[in-house]
Amino acid sequence: MYIGNEMNRIDALDKVLGRPVYAEDLSAKGALFGCIFRSTRPHAFIRRIDTRAAMASPGIVKVLSCHDIPGENLFGIIKKDQPYLAQDRVRCIGEPVLIVLGETEEAARKALQLIEVEYEDAEVVSDPFLSEDSTALIHDKGNLLSRRKVIKGDIEKGFKEADVIVEHTYSTSWLDHAFMETESGVGYPDSKGRIVVISSTQNIHYKQKEISRLLAVPEEKIKVVQATTGGGFGGKLDVTVEGFIALSVHHTRRPVVMRFTREESFLSNTKRHPLYIEYKTGARKDGIITAVKVGITGDTGPFASYGETVCLRAALHATGPYEVPNVHVDSRMFYTNNPVSGAMRGFGIPQLAFAHESQMDEVALMLKMDPFDIRMMNALKKGSLTATSQVLQNSVGIIETLRKVEPYWRKRSKKEDRAGFGLGCMYYGIGNTGVSNPANACLNITGDGKIALHTGACEIGQGSDTTLVQILQETLGLKIEDIVLVRGDTDTSKDAGSSSASRQTYISGGAVFDAALKMRQYLDEKGFYKGRPIREIYASEADKKLLEHNGFFDPPTTPVDPETSKGSPYATYAFATHMTEVEVEPETGCCTVKRVYAAHDVGRAINLKNVRGQIYGGIAMGVGFALMEEFVPGKSESFDNYYMPTSMDMPDVEVFVVEDREPTGPFGAKGVGEPALIPQAASIVNAIKDATGVRPFELPCHIERLKMLLEKAKG
Amino acid sequence: MKIVSFALNGKKVSCEVQDRELLLHALRERFSIKSVKEGCGIGECGTCTVLIDNEPHYSCLTLASKVDGHDVKTVEYLGDAGLLHPLQKAFIEAGAVQCGYCTPGMLLSAYSLLMKNENPSDSEIREAISGNLCRCTGYIQIVEAIRDAAGLCKCKP
Ligand code: FES
Ligand code: FES
Repeated sequence: MYIGNEMNRIDALDKVLGRPVYAEDLSAKGALFGCIFRSTRPHAFIRRIDTRAAMASPGIVKVLSCHDIPGENLFGIIKKDQPYLAQDRVRCIGEPVLIVLGETEEAARKALQLIEVEYEDAEVVSDPFLSEDSTALIHDKGNLLSRRKVIKGDIEKGFKEADVIVEHTYSTSWLDHAFMETESGVGYPDSKGRIVVISSTQNIHYKQKEISRLLAVPEEKIKVVQATTGGGFGGKLDVTVEGFIALSVHHTRRPVVMRFTREESFLSNTKRHPLYIEYKTGARKDGIITAVKVGITGDTGPFASYGETVCLRAALHATGPYEVPNVHVDSRMFYTNNPVSGAMRGFGIPQLAFAHESQMDEVALMLKMDPFDIRMMNALKKGSLTATSQVLQNSVGIIETLRKVEPYWRKRSKKEDRAGFGLGCMYYGIGNTGVSNPANACLNITGDGKIALHTGACEIGQGSDTTLVQILQETLGLKIEDIVLVRGDTDTSKDAGSSSASRQTYISGGAVFDAALKMRQYLDEKGFYKGRPIREIYASEADKKLLEHNGFFDPPTTPVDPETSKGSPYATYAFATHMTEVEVEPETGCCTVKRVYAAHDVGRAINLKNVRGQIYGGIAMGVGFALMEEFVPGKSESFDNYYMPTSMDMPDVEVFVVEDREPTGPFGAKGVGEPALIPQAASIVNAIKDATGVRPFELPCHIERLKMLLEKAKG
Repeated sequence: MKIVSFALNGKKVSCEVQDRELLLHALRERFSIKSVKEGCGIGECGTCTVLIDNEPHYSCLTLASKVDGHDVKTVEYLGDAGLLHPLQKAFIEAGAVQCGYCTPGMLLSAYSLLMKNENPSDSEIREAISGNLCRCTGYIQIVEAIRDAAGLCKCKP
């Protein structure tokens, strides 16, 4: 009754009225403004810093350096190797060196100009392929951050059995998240002697932990609150402004505001990892894939951020949603002095989908098969073994998503020569990889007769607040008026993990469901379902602790083998097929995406409107990834030289929702946030090939690049 | 410093502004209208959109002193919780809002369109919001919302 519908988002009313308070809208009386002095060198030793002129500049209160950090200067989601403030050397352009605190933003920004730093340049590592053997060490232990392999079957035997072999190399560029709201936050000391940070973030509990390490104070002394957040897409997972703010409050005991300009955001925010993918596929005459060998080389910049995650996830998903008996993947992630790359919607898998879907089409072409049929023939199904030899037991909807698109594929016809059609398929493991990644949720009955849901899950625009409330409503049979949502505050919630890896519907949803089942039983025992009002139950309960019910869900996974990646790294997978129609002007190389048919197996759509919204948004990002977006270090500074899709670039889209229920998910739900984007670029590239006969191996395939390819093909 | 007087959301206001002060900052700081957002500050994203004499303008490129004697509207003009504008209602119903950061600017561009064109085509709608970037929605539900509202509203000044 409350799920599977088109319920309006619970935050939409406020948002259309312009009322939500984003971090930048907060101000505190007497707040200082903090801004960051950043490195202008890709790799250099800091020989001298002179802040005297800055300190003497009007309105400047303090300048903080790494020496002002009482605790640990290093942070990072897995490997803590990124300094908040550079110690004795800088390792990329944009690396923070100092915090300048002024009475006003103007004063602080002016003082930045007065800081003098003397650098001694060091050897720069700018190519991941040269990184491993470079004598310039970015970290003491060497320049290889991570290496992961996926080994299944016998790769040599697999290629021997093949009648055709297709081998190509693919590469992708840096991309910016370009959330519309830049990184921002406010901090202040509270009356309990704690430091409070309110920011634009995807994970409050992680940030609380990092700040406690930074300041060497217990976690209880730090409170982190999520302000309304203007988009994340992975770029607000790492610590952005939070550490700087906390450190500044610690030293000044005054409120501190920080907000990155768009230029700063482009300069400092993590990027999508550029990946170089060497891909070899072997197939029999009948279309069955016998072997896949993939080499992945990634550039994470000077700090790990989510580099290990991308290295691993890219490897595990390298074969795409197909059953391949013989697999060999070797994925390596290197440190360089390029921009820091981190988490961005899909963790390396959109890049891999570009490769594996191009390969599928090329194999089909060699075998004179229909690209649709070869996908159907090799697609994973119930009982299949994935590349990590995980047996898929449930909720394997890839074939169903192909079927949804099939009628449109079969009837496709080119009205013009310049038109082309392409397919893209994907699968995506929901949640973190082979590790425990639980969520908590807590319900309690309030004095005014409502059920309060406390969750640490961060609403970043994707709609998790609404989804979680719907799961609660459905389980308890309660109207929206009977529910209060208390969210995004480390004081009032336990850890729900990050809003990343498309995990909140499945995992936080699972935790809410768990708590709700307990609450339902309690309410039932107390006669609520026989008509006794909640208010009365509250009043009659002597032990108020009994009014509280905690929920927990941790998806059942197993770690992957360090050598072969054998294991069950994800409890469930999402599946999708996109079919895209493009038109390419042969003279100019201008590619227009006309129409997309997008079929997604989401397990169960808790909210159809939200699911569609995620898919449309993912398609937009996929269009950008395929055709427009490229972060060029030193050149891409803002939206005037980083092009992303506008309303004019969006195709018409038809969405098909497949609901192959996931038994461990709340009401069968999985996730859709990242899956929405993953196959889109791949399907565009295949459509370009269909339209022009030319296959792009490098993304983005923007107008100049495509024009060059077309000219080269003409000879 | 200069005194400017203008109509802000239908009310006459006046205040002192700096010579180089941007309308964006004047609205946010002097009038506490925080729905006007600074997504880029260089006229490329549309989150700072306001209507000046019912035409959309980037307030990050507009000097506050220039609106002297003019009519300025922000999203607050459209409606309130009790009486939503049909566009606002349609945005909610169509799922046109995700993170919401672009929403005020989108609504204003849409409002200005519907004032001039009661029954716009989809391509006219897309054109009208092409100066407003949205990273979340892929625009489709926004276009749907504007189309749905078109029949229903009289976007008269
Ligand atoms: S802030 Fe004005 S257009 Fe971006
Ligand atoms: S809803 Fe997030 S930018 Fe438009």
